[in-house]
Formats: sequence, C-alpha cells, structure tokens
Amino acid sequence: MTKPSVPPVEPTDDELDRYILTRYALLGIDISVLPESDDEAPMDLERLLANGRSILRQDVVAADFEIDPQFHLPVPHPAPFTAWTGDDR
Amino acid sequence: MSTRGVSERDEPQDGMVSRRWFLDRMAWVSSVAAAGAVLPSEVGALGAGRGDAARLTTDVSNLPVRAGVQQEPTEMTLAETIALVRRGAVRPEEMVEAYSDRIGRFDGVLKAFAAKPDRAALLAEAGQTPAGGVDAPLRGACLTPKDNFYTADLLTEGGSRVYEGFQPDYDATVVATMRAAGGLVVGKAQMGNLAGGRAQVYGTTTPTTRNAWAPEDERYSPGGSSSGTATAVAARLAVAGLGTQTGGSVIGPGNLQGLTCIKPTFGRVSLHGVIPLSYTRDHVGPMARNALDAAILLQAIAHPDPNDPRTLGLPAAPNFVYAATPFPGGAPAVRWPTRIGLWPGYFEDGNEQVNALRRAFVEQLERTGNVRIVPDVRLPDQWEELTGAPLGGSHGDPTAFFIEALRKDVRDFGDRLPRFLNGMLQSADTYVKVQQARMMLLHRMETQLFTQCDVVLTEGTGPFDGTGLPVLGMPIGMDVDEETGLDVPRGATVAARPFGEERLLAVAAAWQAVTDHHLRRPPDPNV
Repeated sequence: MTKPSVPPVEPTDDELDRYILTRYALLGIDISVLPESDDEAPMDLERLLANGRSILRQDVVAADFEIDPQFHLPVPHPAPFTAWTGDDR
Repeated sequence: MSTRGVSERDEPQDGMVSRRWFLDRMAWVSSVAAAGAVLPSEVGALGAGRGDAARLTTDVSNLPVRAGVQQEPTEMTLAETIALVRRGAVRPEEMVEAYSDRIGRFDGVLKAFAAKPDRAALLAEAGQTPAGGVDAPLRGACLTPKDNFYTADLLTEGGSRVYEGFQPDYDATVVATMRAAGGLVVGKAQMGNLAGGRAQVYGTTTPTTRNAWAPEDERYSPGGSSSGTATAVAARLAVAGLGTQTGGSVIGPGNLQGLTCIKPTFGRVSLHGVIPLSYTRDHVGPMARNALDAAILLQAIAHPDPNDPRTLGLPAAPNFVYAATPFPGGAPAVRWPTRIGLWPGYFEDGNEQVNALRRAFVEQLERTGNVRIVPDVRLPDQWEELTGAPLGGSHGDPTAFFIEALRKDVRDFGDRLPRFLNGMLQSADTYVKVQQARMMLLHRMETQLFTQCDVVLTEGTGPFDGTGLPVLGMPIGMDVDEETGLDVPRGATVAARPFGEERLLAVAAAWQAVTDHHLRRPPDPNV
C-alpha cells in the first residue's frame, strides 16, 4: 500500500473518483448502471463523479470554518434540561 | 411613520415570542434530526390524519364578494367561495362541476395534475360535506395538494419513479384536515422529481406541467418544485392548493405564476404524511390567489399534530385571517406599524423592468400607513460564509431517507441523483458545522437583521428556509420574458422573524387593497 504523501497534496480527480466509487460500492449502491457519458440521459457517471468531487472538495471549506470551541447559543433560563437535572438555578 | 389604530392588545405574534426561545427550539430540531425522524412512525398509532382541528377564528362569510363573480364559479376566490357556499348561493356540487369542466378542457395542455379523482365520486363527496360554518370552514373549496402529500384515495408519487405506483393507506394530516373542514381534493398536483426542479416525466428531463401564463411554450418554466399546484391555482383548475418548500419550492413557482403564497415558520404546519426531503428544512405552504385566501388556508391547517413532534409546544396560531383582512379606514395601511427593510441592491436586478416594478412597489408601500422603509439593510456578519456552499446547505438529510431506494436502482432518481447520494460523501465534521452555522445564522438574523426591520424584501428564500423563518410571495406586476417574448407576472418576496406570518399577510393585504395584480388571470390555453 502506498503511504500518504507528507505533507498531504491535493488529491487528483482520478483519486477522488476511486474514493467515490469505493464508498458507494461499500454501501451497496451500484452506480455502474448509469451510462458513462451521455448528455441526453438524465444522469451519467461523468456528471455524477464531477458532482461528487465538488462535494468532497467543499468538505475542506467546511473543515476550515472555525467555530470558537466555547461558542454556544443563548438559551432560555432555566434551560429545558432542568426537567431532568432538577437544577433550576 | 404614523401609528393609527393600534391598541395594546392588538399586536402581532412576532413581537411576543422570545428570540432565544425560537433559537433553542430550532437547535432542538437540528439535534434530533436523526432520532426525531423515526418518531412519526412510532406515534402513528395515535391515528394518522386526525383532521379535526380546522377552525377559522374570523367568520369570512360576511366579507364582500365581487359583483358578477358568481357567474364564473372558478373565478371566485377561496374567501368568496366560502362566503357564497355558506350563504347558500352556491352549492359544493356546483363548484365541483365548474372545476371538473375546466380540468377536463385544459389539463391536457397544462398538465397540472398527476392524479385526479373520479368526477362522480367527487360529486358524491361534495354532496356529503358537513353543513359548514365553524366546523367546516372550507366547505365547497376545490383544492389541490402537491403529489408528495399522502392521500388514501389517490396515488402519491412525489413526481418520481422512486414512488411510482405508491398508494398510501391514509391521508397526510393537512389533507385530512382540509377534508374534515369540507374541502375537496380535485387532484394531486404534479411536482418536480422528489421536490426538486420543475415537473418532468418520471426518470427523464422532459417537462410536463406548463406555466399557466405560457401554456403553449414549454420553455417558460412553471417553477418548481410545486409546479402543478401553482399552475392549477393560476389557471383556475383549483381555488387554492398546498405546496412544500425546502428551498424556494412554494414561493418560486408562486411568483412565476402571479400567486400569493406563504411558507410559514417551521413547525406551524404538520409534515406528517408528506414525503420527506429534509427533517429540518421542509415546510408546508399554502398557494393562493391573494393574501386573504393564503391566510384562510393557513389558518385551517396550522395546528399541533401528535404525529409530528415538530409542531408541538409552539405558540398557538394567531388570527391569520384578521391579519390579511384589509385594514379599515380611508387610506391604505398595514395593520401594525411595520419597518420594511430593503435587501442591499434590491433595485439592481439584471432586468430593468423588474427594477421598475420593484421601485413602484416600494413607492406604494411608502405611501401606505404604518410603514417605514429601511433602505439597504445591513446583512448579518459572515453572511456569505454562513449562507453559501457548503455551510448553507442541508447536507445528508435527503440521503438518510432514501438509502434503500438508492440500493434498488439509482436510475430511478433521474437528474436528482447527486442530491440524494451526496450525503454519503460528507463527513460528520461537515454535518456538525452545517448545523452550528445554521444556528449562528439564525441567531444573527434575529439579533442583527430583524433589529433593523420587521420584514425584509429579499431576492431569494434560501437563508430563510434553512432557519425556518416565514416568507411570503406576491405579484407586483407584469414583464416581458426575454427568451419567449411572453407577458408574464413578476413577484416580490418578503421574509420575517419567527412567527411573523401576520405581519407578512398584513403587508400583502395592504398592497393588494390598492392594486389589482392579484386579480389578473392568464388567458385560457388553446384547445
């Protein structure tokens, strides 16, 4: 097995395609029934994989989104959880 | 801003509900998206589609009816239908006859319906509707739910090969409610594939439903995904109907076909018996010919439902019909003092005619009592980041519902396949951050946007769909479509803070009291 590059380099389209195909195969979803490339078809493998690559790359954007670990929404006080904790301070 | 006619007790609900409370509520919905999704089937034993809660707080039977409208029953609004049926001037069977005739003549061209009941059976049902009054406020109203609402007597196919041939054994709660209220289902409205895009032949990209304003030209979209409901209501094949909205699917087609539609606050209306797309973003929305009709239908269906925990524990629905009833007095006025914000660049759409319509719309609002215009509202911090891809989406939700159908045959999903597969590629980290970003967005909309204004005129609905905030669309004029050269309606979209439906309806009612865009009907198709 090839070891991952260090530092990591951006995966190629081919590498992402293999990842996508493997992921679906693992889940028992067969996308091989789609035509390879057919603009007339409602969906084809080429478009599906292009979309999948885009989604995977967007995951990086989400990962880069930094939220303060102490961030929390203001909640009503006493919080609804006090029904369980009995702590109504 | 003048503030005439306002008493201490006459306040809309949006100012009385704690901002923190709604944030907490939506955080709960997000956190139980997985576990909560199984709850409806667990509590299904309580009885599906109770349909026993429709009430109109305001009696609409005494509202004025336009002279001569009775000569053409399908021209009557929902309010006029209710009033005339209640007075005994029209019988429910006559309404069924009139709508069935039009459907028979024009639906071959318009293709608004996916399924229709037998005419004789519908007439028999009309003859058995309850006597009317407060127990049957929708008596004689010929309505159409989108084809993702379960109906025990008609197929429910969700516009998709995935559900082809599916026959539920019960009505969705809202359908049962409409029927118990004396409403009649004249057909199931065609829709985009699993609530996405315009209606198409299942498993293909061939359009079916036509825009009522362009029946002979399939290029001009009816809008999606509530395509058939919009066409049916605009073309007078139904008096009003129901759509669903996860991302603009009620307001979009409504604005494209000259309708007044409202997507209420998340949880206002039960989703039990509706084919799901997202546990946290789906909404049911009335689609109608004017603000009063939208209010009547919303009033009839906005109730807690034991089969949908998302509807439980909310403030009781206020009097939407009152909010949508034109404010009495000489000059037009919005019922409550209202600050109307303008989205940055609201008059800078790519289409000059649309800009002109928007200017005329805002100028009229400025002349309306109780209104203060707030130009160029400042958008909440990190707006682009929180509303754009990937944080502004609904990742994973559609995949979770459809895994078995995906294993069966991915081709059944047609052009929508990526939307349903994508969730399998996204990490748990992304999902968590999407939920956190959504709550941050809601928090900032409440504390940064809706502190500047009470309602806001906006371009799209996306950020309001994801945060569960109410949105209304209404017609503001006609424009020439550049591609087809056809004269078509244009609409305005206005959004509000949580439980702001009354204020949205009051703004639309004030606008419609002095304009006639909501009275325009498309010409009948050539048959």
